[in-house]
Amino acid sequence: MPLASEQLTVGEMLLRHGISRRGFIQFCTATATAMALPPWIGAAMAEQLRNARRPSVMYLSFQECTGCFESLTRSFSPTIESLIFNVISLDYDDTLMAAAGDQAEAALATAMKDNFGKYVLVIDGSIPTGAAGAYCASGGRSAVDTLREAAKGAAAIVCVGTCSAFGGIPFADPNPTGAWPVTAIVGDKPIINVSGCPPIPEVITGTLLQFVSTGRVPDLDEHLRPKVFFGNTIHDRCYRRPFFDEGKFAKSFDDEGARNGWCLYELGCKGPTTHNACATIKWNGGTSFPIESGHGCLGCSEPGFWDKGSFYAAQPSAEWGKAGAPSPRRAVELGGAAVAAGAVLGVASAGVSRLRQHRSEQEAADHDRKEL
Amino acid sequence: MSRLGDIPIRSESSARNEPPAADGGLGGGVAAILSELVTLLERLVASDSPGAIDLRSLPMSPMDRAALQRALGAGEVQATVTAQGLSRVRETRVSGVWWVEHFDQQGDMVAELIDVSRVPAILTSATDEIAASARDLRAQLTSPSPGEGKHAARQ
Repeated sequence: MPLASEQLTVGEMLLRHGISRRGFIQFCTATATAMALPPWIGAAMAEQLRNARRPSVMYLSFQECTGCFESLTRSFSPTIESLIFNVISLDYDDTLMAAAGDQAEAALATAMKDNFGKYVLVIDGSIPTGAAGAYCASGGRSAVDTLREAAKGAAAIVCVGTCSAFGGIPFADPNPTGAWPVTAIVGDKPIINVSGCPPIPEVITGTLLQFVSTGRVPDLDEHLRPKVFFGNTIHDRCYRRPFFDEGKFAKSFDDEGARNGWCLYELGCKGPTTHNACATIKWNGGTSFPIESGHGCLGCSEPGFWDKGSFYAAQPSAEWGKAGAPSPRRAVELGGAAVAAGAVLGVASAGVSRLRQHRSEQEAADHDRKEL
Repeated sequence: MSRLGDIPIRSESSARNEPPAADGGLGGGVAAILSELVTLLERLVASDSPGAIDLRSLPMSPMDRAALQRALGAGEVQATVTAQGLSRVRETRVSGVWWVEHFDQQGDMVAELIDVSRVPAILTSATDEIAASARDLRAQLTSPSPGEGKHAARQ
C-alpha cells in the first residue's frame, strides 16, 4: 500500500513528481548561490532535505492584497514553486487549496492538531484589531483570533511581506482598521520577517528552504529579517553607486543625467536606508530591479515606508544610519495599551505609534458608531 | 536583441596592474583562488571533506576567468546532467578540481562553482536510489510480463 504523502520523505515525494536527486541538487545549489551561502551547502542541503519528512506549512492570509503570494507563485523560474511545494507539505492555503468553507477550516484544524509544535506558520497581511477584529474575518473568526490560535502550535512564524512584518500599508496613517504586524500579536514564538511589497520570490523560498533544511532560525537583523538577504542596503550594492560617489545625480526623470544612468538619490531614491536584496538577486529571474529600470527605490522593505514622506523627495542625509521607524517589537512597546487584546504589553510611551493607535482606535469607534 | 547579455560590452581586467597571461603571470584574484584550492585539496586528502568555491560571488572580469581556466586546464572527464536544468561538469587538469556549471530550464546560468571532491555529488548515485532500483529490478524479475524479464536481466 503506498504511503500517504505526509509520510514520505522529501526525496520520495520529489521522485514521485519526477524530480531526481540530481535535479534537487541543481535546485539547492542555485538557491545557495542566490542566498550567498557557502557553495558546498547546496549539495549538503539537498541530501539533508531528501531524507527528511516534509514539514507541515500553514499559509494564512489576512489583511493583504495577495501581491506577496503572486510574487511567490509567479516566480520566474517555473521550477521554484513546484520544488518548494514538494519540499514542504502545504496543508493550508486558502488561495490555492481546492477545499472551501467548513472543509477548509477542518483541514486547518486537523493539520494544526496533527503537527502541533512542529509546523511552520506563514503569515501574509497585517492583522486588524479595530472593531474587535471585524475588519478581517474568515470562517466566523477574526484574523487576530485565528493568528493567536495558529501560533500556539507553530515551531516558527514566517511573516511574508511588509504588511505582516511591519504593518505595511494598512498600518499607515491613519490606520483605520487598527492594523498591526504579527510581532504585535505574538510574542512567544520565533519570528522571521521577510519584508518587501512584495518580497523577492527567491527571498521567500530561500528563507523557507533554509529554515526547513536546518531547522534553525537564520541570523536576523534588528527587524527580524534574515541577514543573508537584508544585511546590506540597496545603496551598498547599487550599480549606480559610483555616480553617487562622484556627485553625479539625475535631477529629473528625463534629463541628461537620467539618460546617462546617474544616481537617482535626488529623485527620492531610498536606497541608502533600505535593506533588501533587489540590487543583487534582482527581479523576474534576475533581469532587473527598479533602479535599473530608471526609478528610485521606494524603501518598501523597511518599517513605516508608507509614512516617510514623498517617494520623490530626496532623503535628508541626517536620516542615514538611523532607524526610519520603530522596529516591530518596539512598535508594540510604544503601542502599549493599544494592543491590550494582544499578548505583549510594554512600557506606555508617548511615541508616534501610540498616537497613531489612539487616533485609529478613535476613528474605528467613530466608524462603528456610523455603521450602527 | 532580446536579452541583456546580448548588449555588447568591452571588458577590462579588474586588476589594472595584472600582467598579461602571455607573460605567465597571474592576477591577484586568480592567485587567491588557486591558493584557496590548494587548501581545499589538502583538506580533501586529509579528511575526505569536499569543498567548493562560488565563482559567481567573486568579482571576476572575463580576463580573470580566462586566466583561471588557463591555469586549471582541462582534464579527462566531461559530463552533462539533464535533470531540472542542464549541468556541465568538467574535470580540470588539477586532480580533484572540477568546474561545474548549472543552468535553469530557460538556459540561464544559475550557479557556477569550482568543486573540490573525488567526484562531484551531482554525478554519484545515492545509496537509497540504488537500493530502490535493486528492489524494482528484483520485482521485475520475479513477476515478469512477457519480454520484460528478459529485458531487465540484460540490463
